[in-house]
Amino acid sequence: MRGLFAIYQKELITYFRSPIAYFVVSVFLLGTGYFFLYNVFMTGIGTMNETLQNMGVLLLIVVPVITMRLFSGEYTGRTIELLMTLPLKPWQIVLGKYLGATTILLLMTLATCIDLIPLYLYGTPETKTILSGYIGFVLLGMACLAIGQFFSALTQNQIVAALITVPVLLVFWFVGHLQSFQSSYALRDLFGYLSFAQHFADFIRGLVRSEAVMFYLMISAIALTLNTSYLQWRR
Amino acid sequence: MIALESVSKRYGSKTVIHDVSFDVGQGEIVGFLGPNGAGKTTTMRMIAGYTTPTSGRITVAGLDMATQNEAAARKIGYLPEHPPLYDVLDVSTFLRFVAKVKGVPPREIPSDLERVIAACHLEAVFRSEIFKLSKGYRQRLGLAQALLGKPDVLLLDEPTAGLDPGQIQETREVIRAFGENHAVLLSTHILHEVTLICQRVAIIDRGRLLAIDTPSGLQTASEQTNSVMLEATAPADPLREELLSIEGVNAVRVQSIPGRLSTHMVECQVNARDGIEARIARAVASRWELHRLERQQPTLENVFLRYVRAGAGAREAT
Repeated sequence: MRGLFAIYQKELITYFRSPIAYFVVSVFLLGTGYFFLYNVFMTGIGTMNETLQNMGVLLLIVVPVITMRLFSGEYTGRTIELLMTLPLKPWQIVLGKYLGATTILLLMTLATCIDLIPLYLYGTPETKTILSGYIGFVLLGMACLAIGQFFSALTQNQIVAALITVPVLLVFWFVGHLQSFQSSYALRDLFGYLSFAQHFADFIRGLVRSEAVMFYLMISAIALTLNTSYLQWRR
Repeated sequence: MIALESVSKRYGSKTVIHDVSFDVGQGEIVGFLGPNGAGKTTTMRMIAGYTTPTSGRITVAGLDMATQNEAAARKIGYLPEHPPLYDVLDVSTFLRFVAKVKGVPPREIPSDLERVIAACHLEAVFRSEIFKLSKGYRQRLGLAQALLGKPDVLLLDEPTAGLDPGQIQETREVIRAFGENHAVLLSTHILHEVTLICQRVAIIDRGRLLAIDTPSGLQTASEQTNSVMLEATAPADPLREELLSIEGVNAVRVQSIPGRLSTHMVECQVNARDGIEARIARAVASRWELHRLERQQPTLENVFLRYVRAGAGAREAT
């Protein structure tokens, strides 16, 4: 466990000693702030529903920037040779890095809570719905991070890693739209099940369904397992 | 402490390491000598556990690298060819990170850091960010991380590359001191280096282990590849006969220089005896015009050729 924790600490220090974390968090908060102002003050509806929906879309752009360096950076800096020869198991490296990235996601999420102050001051929002939306947002983010981290392990080039992650996340986001073109019930169900957006919409409405929670956790687990297997295979 | 048994490595259809076997005992420094691309780095990486051999077995401190990789990694200090450093971290944070991963108990980390910092002379840059370090400091930081956690075995891939002469001397002292009661495998393509600090030398070329010899054996092999180059204005055949008649000259190759009538470039294979240049110079200058004469340093390629020929000769004899 000490190895895993050391990797986690190193990841956090690395994020905050390079401009990436500051840039990503700033862009995300600026975007969220804009959508919040637009959704609440322009329409006069005092909920976080629309804003959370917009945050989900922003995440698809922001996550690849957070994850692109996770392994690609280790390859180009040749530090992967150090990690793979230290007394660490590949899963410890993968999980340590993932927890580091998840911490950035949590900090980002926490910072958006500033939007709740005017919401509670001037409106009567439903706390449980907001909480459910935030749980969905974090779970969605964790699934996206795991996918991004896996693609980062596949290439030495950080830009390529980000450029692969964005369309893959977009496919997961929009796959639900394919439902309307299918006559087969099985395919409609499958596309609906795989849709990041549809599961997230449930959370935003205030529904914390165990199926949706399991879906996001399972996507994360599959991506992290593939990531670990890939590192093992590279040996 | 380190044992390789019939280790081979293939990438697709290309075999880069062919059936290599050797071992390194405790208290021994073994040099791993070969030209660039000989397979030194691949072999080092297999011993360190970065890649796995296609066939054969590697054990470190009695632990099988295929099945007990993590336990074996605790016994190994490894400095790869390019020091693996995190540029955004500072020296102390980086060393602390490596110490933690290597399982150094928290209360022992400061003293362990102090030990490696002193051994590698990193005091001046302890708080510096790694991206600001010079090549020499980066190399020494790479060595420092390898020494953390008191490993039983040290694998050093060209540890003196990029260092100035003073730093090379200091690094050799660190390696020599460590090698007194640990096992060290040190790869290099510098002949002189292995003869200075190693007890044995494993010679590798194109993925094949050519020989395991002592530094003195290597010294003899390199001396037998000495040559003297000279340029003289003289007829080719009499010049060749004159040179061959000198004691200590084994072979002579005469080449004409295009555009310069009757001036020749001559390469003499000689025994490594003092004064041979003077004898050649006297013999040539007394009869013809000598323009230039210099002794060639033995090259690694020539030493390899000798080992390759010796190996082929031995195979024919059996």
